[in-house]
Amino acid sequence: MKDQWYPVAMLSELGRDPVETILMDAPVRVWRDADGTACAATPEGRKLPVTEAYHHLWTSPGAPDRPLFDIPEARQPDRRFVPCGRVRVACSPLRAVENFLDIAHFPFVHTDILGAEPHTEVARYKAEVREDDDEVWATKVEFYQPQAAKSASGGVTTQYMYRVPAPTSSVLYKTSPPRPGEWDVIAIFVQPVTETRCDVWPWMALFDETTPQADLVAFQQMIFVQDRSILENQVPALLPLDPGLETPTRADMTSIAYRRWLKSHGYTYGAQLVAA
Amino acid sequence: MTDPSRWHPAALSQDLVPATVIPARCGPHEIALWRSETGALRAWQDRCPHRGMRLSHGFVRGEMLSCIYHGWRYDGEAVCRKIPAHPALEPPSSITVPRFRVAEAGGVIWIASDPGNSAPPEMAEGLRPLRSVPVDRSAAGLRDALGHDVPARLEDGLCVLVQEIDETRSVLHALTSGNVEPKIASRRLESLRRRFEKEPAA
Repeated sequence: MKDQWYPVAMLSELGRDPVETILMDAPVRVWRDADGTACAATPEGRKLPVTEAYHHLWTSPGAPDRPLFDIPEARQPDRRFVPCGRVRVACSPLRAVENFLDIAHFPFVHTDILGAEPHTEVARYKAEVREDDDEVWATKVEFYQPQAAKSASGGVTTQYMYRVPAPTSSVLYKTSPPRPGEWDVIAIFVQPVTETRCDVWPWMALFDETTPQADLVAFQQMIFVQDRSILENQVPALLPLDPGLETPTRADMTSIAYRRWLKSHGYTYGAQLVAA
Repeated sequence: MTDPSRWHPAALSQDLVPATVIPARCGPHEIALWRSETGALRAWQDRCPHRGMRLSHGFVRGEMLSCIYHGWRYDGEAVCRKIPAHPALEPPSSITVPRFRVAEAGGVIWIASDPGNSAPPEMAEGLRPLRSVPVDRSAAGLRDALGHDVPARLEDGLCVLVQEIDETRSVLHALTSGNVEPKIASRRLESLRRRFEKEPAA
């Protein structure tokens, strides 16, 4: 996982003065040069690779052998782009991603917003590892939602697709309430701080011309704060990659595919391999 | 190793009203302690077997405890009866939560992992539950400082039970005897706590 790209700052907050952050247990300094170049380096002065994408600065403690994953929707000019800032969570970065892939918790954790009893059923959907792109995908996901988005009024059955293009990033596509034929895009870019702490950087690319930016950010932050009360109370803190310790069901097919994919690549930072 | 047969004072009865769940401990074990709507008391491992969420964050409906994460619902025997994501499915009976023994006497709730036939320590008659307070001192240090067998009956009508949390933290469960005003007893308990935290550990 050392050779992956990770988000470490919002570009809008990058200034001339270096700011220190932690990436995989090691301090990293980030800043923007006088000539406008974004930089990342260790405190000892070793320069790290950088990429500017999706309103964030990305770097790596290692040597990435391919560019950061593409989000084609980021190039669609009529979308609203909403970087939501940092949400600190005392949990494994992998547990944060897995929770993002989960819909069955909506009625209980995001009650009356993303879900509500008695609409708890998770219909069968498709989860797979796409070998060509080496990504985890879940498609044909459907769920009844009382208020699917800030722009939604009243309950709807929302269609979802999920994509995991990197071990600590995930992109979801969901029915856009103002444009039912299109997909809104919501992503989480997770900065692994330690194996049990992470900074989540949510990012959205929406069809919503009316809601003020601050309200969109507040809505997403509220959702993540609700998730945090779960993520900081899972035992063990590390994501178990071996079966036995936890009990998945059919609704967890995306999580099962994600865990298998992590294990097959040896993406184990924030995971535990031995069934306790 | 903790003696599995030992009964640990975990809470005062009054702090667990019907249809609620609270976090508790039994020696090193983290416990979800809950009371059903009709008053039945249970102590289980504080962990849902589905995704490891603490059950003490869950909710009680009727005679069942539900996990707050995905609403998995467990009956009084700790067997999973409902998985809301699959309403038509009867959950396999193998989905269960490890259980602990729990007993309630004299206004105190006791938990043990494997007590056999032993009963919780006898309490004197006529004690009234006061409150529980956390103390930043080891249980051994508190027992030394109290200089009595536990439950320790102190002057001023206070009676305290010591619950071990870890090497540096404990909980005092306090009851009162005689005609001490609760407000005055609370004040005495608070000064006791301060004194225990100030005194150097033995």
